[in-house]
Amino acid sequence: MDKNLKHKSNRVNSGIHFMLGNYAVVEGALAVGCNYFAGYPITPANEISELMSKRLPEVGGIFVQGEDELFSIYSIIGASLAGAKVMTATASAGFNYMQEGIGYASAVEAPCVIVDVQRCRGENFATQADVMQMRWGASGDYESIVLAPSTAQELFDFTILAFNLAEEFRNPVIVMSETTIALMRERVKIPEKESIEIYKRMYTSLTPEEYLPFKAKNNSPPEFAPIGEGYHNLYTLNYHNEDGTIDWDAQGYKKLYQRITGKIRENKDKICKTELCFLDDADVAIIAYGSEVRPALDAIEMARNDGIKIGMLKLITVWPIHENLIKDIAKNVGRIFAVEMNIGKYAREIERICLPFCPVSHITKNEGIIHTKEEIYKAIKEDLS
Amino acid sequence: MKPLSVRISGFGGQGIILTAIVLGTASVKKGNLYAVQTQSYGSEARGGECQSELIISDKLINSPTTKYKDILICLFQSALDKYLSTLKKTGILIVDPKLVTEIPSIDANIYKVPATETAIKIGNRIAANMVILGFLQKLIKVVSEDNLREIISSMVPKKFIDINLKAFNAGVSFAKDLDITKEDIE
Repeated sequence: MDKNLKHKSNRVNSGIHFMLGNYAVVEGALAVGCNYFAGYPITPANEISELMSKRLPEVGGIFVQGEDELFSIYSIIGASLAGAKVMTATASAGFNYMQEGIGYASAVEAPCVIVDVQRCRGENFATQADVMQMRWGASGDYESIVLAPSTAQELFDFTILAFNLAEEFRNPVIVMSETTIALMRERVKIPEKESIEIYKRMYTSLTPEEYLPFKAKNNSPPEFAPIGEGYHNLYTLNYHNEDGTIDWDAQGYKKLYQRITGKIRENKDKICKTELCFLDDADVAIIAYGSEVRPALDAIEMARNDGIKIGMLKLITVWPIHENLIKDIAKNVGRIFAVEMNIGKYAREIERICLPFCPVSHITKNEGIIHTKEEIYKAIKEDLS
Repeated sequence: MKPLSVRISGFGGQGIILTAIVLGTASVKKGNLYAVQTQSYGSEARGGECQSELIISDKLINSPTTKYKDILICLFQSALDKYLSTLKKTGILIVDPKLVTEIPSIDANIYKVPATETAIKIGNRIAANMVILGFLQKLIKVVSEDNLREIISSMVPKKFIDINLKAFNAGVSFAKDLDITKEDIE
């Protein structure tokens, strides 16, 4: 589709910008080569569709406004299986609708990027309440890759990372955005085109006669052949044989899902990304993700000024969870503080890993607004006294 | 520099958010600084409550909002009533005296900038925000007047550039007359 359209503007908008978080997502997607986007309007994700509708056709891509979220998710999956690099964006209530499609994309191993700008139920206020839906929302067995940006810069950077992971592992990848960062303007540095890493999907070298769409090595995605180029591609949600045909074979089913989940589980060390902040000498540690990292960093500064040796594990990859690293930290500190903006969801996951080694305190806020540094520091101080 | 936090408040249609974006853009693109801008507004296109917060710093900004602001700008009485408690005790309050008439007695420095009146004289009341921006520039000086003029020209519709620049210049003149300096903020 690129060849036939005149390119009126650059894919990579290099330079320093004062940019809306939602726009940074679009610029990241374009920089990494997104050429198909479908979306249905919903606040606070609308600016993503808005800028996509303007920018994507300018660089030779296709923008479609879907009639709903189901269209959007299935349409990007179809385009992906034809070889496009695809994205959709929605907000919590729309993300619900997309779960069926996410399950399908996982089963047929269609690379796609889904941006969920989390909002409070029906209202445009900040939350991280979808953190479990991002992992467990669809039916059936699958593994999720979920990235949690905390700044407009990271919305740009992690959208690129999301595309690369989706293409490499042939799996849906979710960018966990939030009202707070999506509607915030911030400094964003977009690098030169040459320095942007782009992972190219592994295409098959086999002929259509030899090719089987689901034949793959253990814990790896199959090689890809696009729809419409003479290959026999059958993509069904049901249990499928290596040639894609529907069947029921207990051992085959077990093996297929061992591979589909194993390609993520067994590559966790490669997929999971984190940042260690002030952990070297820390007696206690915060674990946080997304926008909550920001006040947590300020709270650490307040605490350290008062002599409390506290550090933080910032999760870039929320799913899969970086179990080994969290365990190591739990063994080395006296207490973990799970900071998040919901009723306390990921905190339970942190507890599951840390409790044999150290106590876990929840610092949660569910009021439609990000924690202040004072709130986090107060909770830490009360807990330690 | 110490991080500087500014809240601009009023009602929809006054150019509240644009003012914050212009200052933020100039700070980041021209001043090589960091800036974070957040906002809240009603669903009405015009007339609803509207406010924007901007933090400017030479370091990475973590918390996107601050409990107490260094500078509070109120372009409507209800905005002052709502947000005065978010101004630092030693902060600066800027109001449009035509739209904010009742100011409780406070320790903060108060500047009355006749922004709407000036903008009407220049030719369009919607440029009142630029009078405020000109005044604010002289107060905080994080970027130069010319930097701001350049960003204003690049962000407002072509046919309104001239009037916006005139309004901006008027704001700068008000501040010059008062002979204020950045040290007033501390």
